[in-house]
Amino acid sequence: MGHVDRAREFVADADRTGWHDRALWFVRTKRDRAADLVPDWEALRERASEIKRFALGQLPELWCEFEENAIRAGAVVHWARDGHEHNEIIARLLQERRIERVVKSKSMLTEECGLNPHLEACGIEVVDTDLGERIVQLRNESPSHIVMPAIHLRRGEIGELFAEKMGSPPGLDDPTELTAIARRDLRDRFLRAQAGLTGINFAVAETGGFVVVTNEGNADLGTALPKLHIASVGLEKIIPRQADLAVFLRLLARSATGQAITAYTSHFRGPRPPSPDPQELHIVVVDNGRSHLLGRPAFREALACIRCGACLNTCPVYRRSGGHSYGATVPGPIGSVLETSRDPATHAELPHACSLCGSCSDVCPVRIPLHHQLLAFRGELARAGHQRRSRRAALGLIGWLFARPSGYRWLGRSGRFLARRLPTARLNALVSPWTRQRALPEIPEASFRELYARRRAAENDR
Amino acid sequence: MTDARTEIFRRLEAARPPASARPAQWSAPPMPIDEMATLRDRLSDAGGSLQIAQREDWTERIVWPVPVSGIAHVYSSVAGVSNKGVGISALTDHDLECLDLCVLSADFAVVENGAVWHRPKSPRERAAALLATHLMIVVDAAELVPTLHHAYSRIGSEAASFGWFLCGPSKTADIEQALVLGAHGPCTMSLILLRD
Repeated sequence: MGHVDRAREFVADADRTGWHDRALWFVRTKRDRAADLVPDWEALRERASEIKRFALGQLPELWCEFEENAIRAGAVVHWARDGHEHNEIIARLLQERRIERVVKSKSMLTEECGLNPHLEACGIEVVDTDLGERIVQLRNESPSHIVMPAIHLRRGEIGELFAEKMGSPPGLDDPTELTAIARRDLRDRFLRAQAGLTGINFAVAETGGFVVVTNEGNADLGTALPKLHIASVGLEKIIPRQADLAVFLRLLARSATGQAITAYTSHFRGPRPPSPDPQELHIVVVDNGRSHLLGRPAFREALACIRCGACLNTCPVYRRSGGHSYGATVPGPIGSVLETSRDPATHAELPHACSLCGSCSDVCPVRIPLHHQLLAFRGELARAGHQRRSRRAALGLIGWLFARPSGYRWLGRSGRFLARRLPTARLNALVSPWTRQRALPEIPEASFRELYARRRAAENDR
Repeated sequence: MTDARTEIFRRLEAARPPASARPAQWSAPPMPIDEMATLRDRLSDAGGSLQIAQREDWTERIVWPVPVSGIAHVYSSVAGVSNKGVGISALTDHDLECLDLCVLSADFAVVENGAVWHRPKSPRERAAALLATHLMIVVDAAELVPTLHHAYSRIGSEAASFGWFLCGPSKTADIEQALVLGAHGPCTMSLILLRD
């Protein structure tokens, strides 16, 4: 099943689709208002892009520097070539310490690696603590958005879910009440957790420290109490200097949700001080396809992504088709680039889930040329043979026709002749879903070329 | 079989893009004209509140999120506010779970986003800031910086094991984008600026 088929399931509920579209556009407008309050916004985006470009050219040096400083601060650094190695490292750390209950804050990397099912198979209970992630975890789903994991659900569905899983009274649909129920349930799990797992938003080479941002405070509650903190980080998340954090943190929350900053912006450097309750800090650095993407000049800038989700919120296709329609860990424009790079055979349709409007590139805080990359991917996938047969046939026919100007003109003339005389709208709707809800413009009697020739002739006659 | 670290570094070396110049330090914009109004607006956007008081009698002048006389459990690291209940007797950080109020002092506040920079003096102080129902942060009114750039020039690359920017109470909008204050941590957050 491809993107189009899954999107069809989502849009079958017109009320939900409309709500989803408006809710995400509202977040986009909040982003605009927040960006407008920053006088140096565009220069800031440019600087963020430059820092990331510099960092991508220096990854071996920066990671060496990070590792050295992190070890000096008392952390243990692990390296994982792929998701499976990442999961095994974490499972081993937990099993060696006989840990059975862990809490995890939001991390798209652990989603990408499939950490939860791996740990559950080892008999370890993993509780996602971000409210949206907890909701999708209880529903056995994946997040449909990288910042708002449960944006595809309505409040009544969440009330039903909580009634079933947490024993709350049925029929609740007040967000405040539902959040309070989840808070009580999760507070208990925070207190009983033996380890806290987090992602990393920014790893700082200069200090060997890292920053994790949340609004709920779940990454902090999850790591403040237990004796073990494991942080997972992708190779692209490194920045050179502590001062660079200012550039990225000014951009991140404003781009993501329109907030000037998140409620919690936590700077970790080594484990908690040993007294009174010693803690271990382990950092797992993961490749999982990132070095492959780095080696591809046309697409490597996608590694600059800071996972703000702005390109999802603004994307007309994402807003109307829902995150699950992408069938990928990261949906939306950035997901279509990252996932297609990782697995072109599976995700070859994703670069086509795009109208090339360019809005994603316009809002991207690190100026990734997303729509150019999506266009480039279409060509590359076609050359590699990853293309739907119908599209290949259609484009082949069009290519053949475009190479024959007289044939093209003849087809244009006969097309206009027929289209003006047949029930075109109804016929078109049979072959092209695009026109099912859209009226065709009036078919002109002559082409531009013909009109131009006639006009020149008339002028010459005068 | 090569180990993962060696292989990852080999892959990164093989894929290395052309070198790009190290960007210079950012020249940060100046303080907004009305710094107090901007700070108040940004903090209120984040669901927090701002009060300004004189250092000598602030505890009597401010509006408290809960009446201090009526609550059982207080954790404070600020002179003038006493610990109560588990704030005194807690044996482990977990015991702070029933804290009603946590009062802390932070280094400085950032005008452009309403955040304060706080370095917990102990792990317990951090746990208290997360587990209390109400959080109050006290900052010297002279300690305002315009933007995060200024903030990081003050923070430098100091060796503390933990420090955080805090802005407003813990919150979520994960259910239908409706903002709810008090997700896992404090339900209210008040910033108190003290003048001499």
